[in-house]
Amino acid sequence: MTEATDLAERAGDRDPRVGLRAVTALRRLAEQLEAVQVRSARQQGWSWQEIAAELGVSRQAVHKKYGRQ
Amino acid sequence: MFERFTKGARDVVTGAVEQSERAGADSIDDGHLLLALLDREGTRASFALAALGADRRREDIVLALAEARRRGGLTQAETEALAGLGIDVEEIVSRVEQTHGAGALAGVGARRERKGIGAWIGHRGFTPGAKDILERALRIATARRDRSIGDEHILLALTTRPGVTAEVLADHGVTRLTVERVLYQG
Repeated sequence: MTEATDLAERAGDRDPRVGLRAVTALRRLAEQLEAVQVRSARQQGWSWQEIAAELGVSRQAVHKKYGRQ
Repeated sequence: MFERFTKGARDVVTGAVEQSERAGADSIDDGHLLLALLDREGTRASFALAALGADRRREDIVLALAEARRRGGLTQAETEALAGLGIDVEEIVSRVEQTHGAGALAGVGARRERKGIGAWIGHRGFTPGAKDILERALRIATARRDRSIGDEHILLALTTRPGVTAEVLADHGVTRLTVERVLYQG
């Protein structure tokens, strides 16, 4: 595992695997951060409409994603 | 599919539910399956883990899983890839924890699965990842023409699904190849 990572690093940042993995990881990190922030906003009494407006998505989209929590 | 599970495999599934409850998580994920697997004794999977020396490193494995959970489920490889972009995941995690409390990124965003396995086990649902592990175990057993699904098939499934559990296992010498070697050869 770590050997493979070292190899990838030595291959430099032009190795598409490293770049693609970083993008995927960034997306997942963003998803986790969004969940934390949405939960926090709900706890502070924000409406789904207000949260959706900040995130730039529809109220339905936010509610569908986090509504049951 | 559960009628084909051995008692050992069923114990892993119910053990995972207990692990999830103990952790206060709202769903059961593949990490809980691995923790439950590590608790087994006298089974095919526990034999394989012992043969690979992983049973003696149980605490290490538990710690590595907890660390990954704290990072929001990012693998070490993903964390390193982000570091390559100049993103310090540890820094982000600790800042989020400062504002939102310890473990803020652990166990968020995982959607529950209420149908199928979720219904079988009760109100606490399996994440799609955990469900995928059980389906992989079934496929692995079928491919080997094994009549029942044992906990060793769950272990093999955990080594094949890319993500935190497979990475942590591999870091402790447990891969699909090494497990197959100790189980099916010699």
